[in-house]
Amino acid sequence: MKAVAVVAAMCLVFAFVWERVDVVRLGYSIERLKTQKTLLERERDQLQVKVSALTAPERIARVATDKLGLFPPQQGQVFIIHPQPSVPLLATAPVEHLRIARTMPVLGGAK
Amino acid sequence: MGPSGGRRYVLLFFLLSGFGVILFRLVSLQVLQAAELTARADRQHQKSVTLEGVRGAVTDRHGKVLAMNVEVPSIFGVPTSLDSPANAAKSLSSVLHIRRDDIEKKLRQDKHFVWLARKVEPEKGRRLEQLSIDGIGMVMEGRRFYPKGPLLAHVLGFVGMDGVGLEGLERRYESQLHGEKRLTILQRDALGRTVFPKGLREQVPAAGHALTLTIDEVIQYIAEKELEEAVDHARAKSGTIIVMEPQSGAILAMAVSPRFDPNAVASLTADRWRNRALTDTYEPGSTMKVVVAAAALEERVMMPGSMLFGENGRMTVANTTIHDHEKLGWMTFAQMMQKSSNIGAAKTGILLGQQRLYRYLQAFGFGQRTDIDLPGEVVGLLKSPREWGRRSLASISMGQEIGVTPLQMVSAVSAIANDGVLMKPYVVSGVSDQKGQLVKEVLPQVRRRVVSPATARTLTTILEGVVASGTGTKAAIPGFRVAGKTGTAQKVDPRTGAYSSVLSVGSFVGFVPADAPRLAMIVVIDEPQGEAWGGVVAAPVFRRVGEQVLTYLGVPRDDQVKIAMAR
Repeated sequence: MKAVAVVAAMCLVFAFVWERVDVVRLGYSIERLKTQKTLLERERDQLQVKVSALTAPERIARVATDKLGLFPPQQGQVFIIHPQPSVPLLATAPVEHLRIARTMPVLGGAK
Repeated sequence: MGPSGGRRYVLLFFLLSGFGVILFRLVSLQVLQAAELTARADRQHQKSVTLEGVRGAVTDRHGKVLAMNVEVPSIFGVPTSLDSPANAAKSLSSVLHIRRDDIEKKLRQDKHFVWLARKVEPEKGRRLEQLSIDGIGMVMEGRRFYPKGPLLAHVLGFVGMDGVGLEGLERRYESQLHGEKRLTILQRDALGRTVFPKGLREQVPAAGHALTLTIDEVIQYIAEKELEEAVDHARAKSGTIIVMEPQSGAILAMAVSPRFDPNAVASLTADRWRNRALTDTYEPGSTMKVVVAAAALEERVMMPGSMLFGENGRMTVANTTIHDHEKLGWMTFAQMMQKSSNIGAAKTGILLGQQRLYRYLQAFGFGQRTDIDLPGEVVGLLKSPREWGRRSLASISMGQEIGVTPLQMVSAVSAIANDGVLMKPYVVSGVSDQKGQLVKEVLPQVRRRVVSPATARTLTTILEGVVASGTGTKAAIPGFRVAGKTGTAQKVDPRTGAYSSVLSVGSFVGFVPADAPRLAMIVVIDEPQGEAWGGVVAAPVFRRVGEQVLTYLGVPRDDQVKIAMAR
């Protein structure tokens, strides 16, 4: 009985020590992955800045005219086959505001 | 046989003394020096760092990045650890492109730490890493990038070396853009490595909020390109273009010339980065006649067909002479606007009277801020009628004795395009958190109705006449109905205090298509050389920008609409 208790106690100690060691090992692992994530995020941001710089309208226009020999369309050369505004108007003012504004007495008129 | 009594006592004495020393040492360490030693231990195995959330990005209305933060290396040296400052300086100079002497001078200082270059390009950092010079190190710091260079620079502004917004939107929205700062304590091992970042998820400070603008980068580019060309061509001092959506007050483009690159502002002065669209006032000249005409029509002082006599180009008011650029006789009110007659405008203003004219000027937003969400806006100059002189009524009616900003003027004309309703201009349409969730949506705001829809429509027809057959013919865009007004104002010569015969401001303000406006726009060219008429220097710019933007937006030409309807 005594021997079983001693073995159980030893197992508990080993389990505790193993758990502590594993926690530290995982800690290093997490730290490594965190560093890797930071580096990847940094690279992503740098690439995003590069993409943004490369797609600047000014640069595209320069490449189009200087390298590709293109030029802006002249008057009457652009035909819109399916007239549709590509940029919708932003959200209009709240309806109640507009209603108030439409019925508002004209400034100066009433005075 | 056991030890004798004397030897036993000696042994006991030594044992007790030993235990006594241990006990004393324990009490000393655990009780008396406990606080100090605990603090020392903490210093050795804990590391406190200030973590800062990333500054929020700024994008245009389509999500195109205009400003964002990227971590880049900053290079430092530890002079006391260097074997040969000369060799290190030679290697660093070729990578950092800084003069060798300057680097060597820093590295020879009797210091433990010196900055060699802050926030350099990542590529330079990579090359330095490969060199691996003892005593030279690098840390990562957040740097603000404006990937489009000078595009929209006057609106975006810039941040200082410490990452705090100093100008433009960066300054106005500093509290939303900057990331959270938090002091965090990390555990470290004997080698100084961070161990088990417990609860790190909770420790990471929140990133700053991102801004979505009403600006369209393509429209902004068109405006800036055309403005630069116009300013260069006219050899002008500066220029401004604002493109606005009349129904909402959303700013689509705000271009200022000369431009600057917010990535490199160290050598520039405030004069270069000032947003002239809202910080500079000018006497608007004849564009002010739009407001005078609106008031006269609304008050029924004038009808489009009302007759006015042009006094053959000269009229005396308060012992001063008002001139027209040509000898005009009888004309209708609409013709007065087309020909931009100063005498006709002065007579209209006199008929309106001081109080009524002043009330309309205020209603259209002059003499007060538009409250646009940008810093540095000025109120302009609108004196109260009590301060007006005998000529003021006539002068203000033709755009003198009043100071306006380009933003005030385009807002006022937008109200005509918007059926008489004045909107508040704005550049930020939304603020979102780091997950992209919208935390604040900015909706268009009505300021007030300034004239009736009927007056707005009548005035629109008159302004169409200005472009069709008046002073603004160069603003006409084939296939579209354009309404607008030219303006040419002499500037006051700072040396004489009188109107200069050389210095002037040429402008054009209008909207298109006149029947269903998509754009309101103002073009202001400051101090053009040579011919300075607004109809000559500014109206063609309006046409070029308008034509390209309408095509970009896919707004059909009148003839295309007719074909589509016929089918």
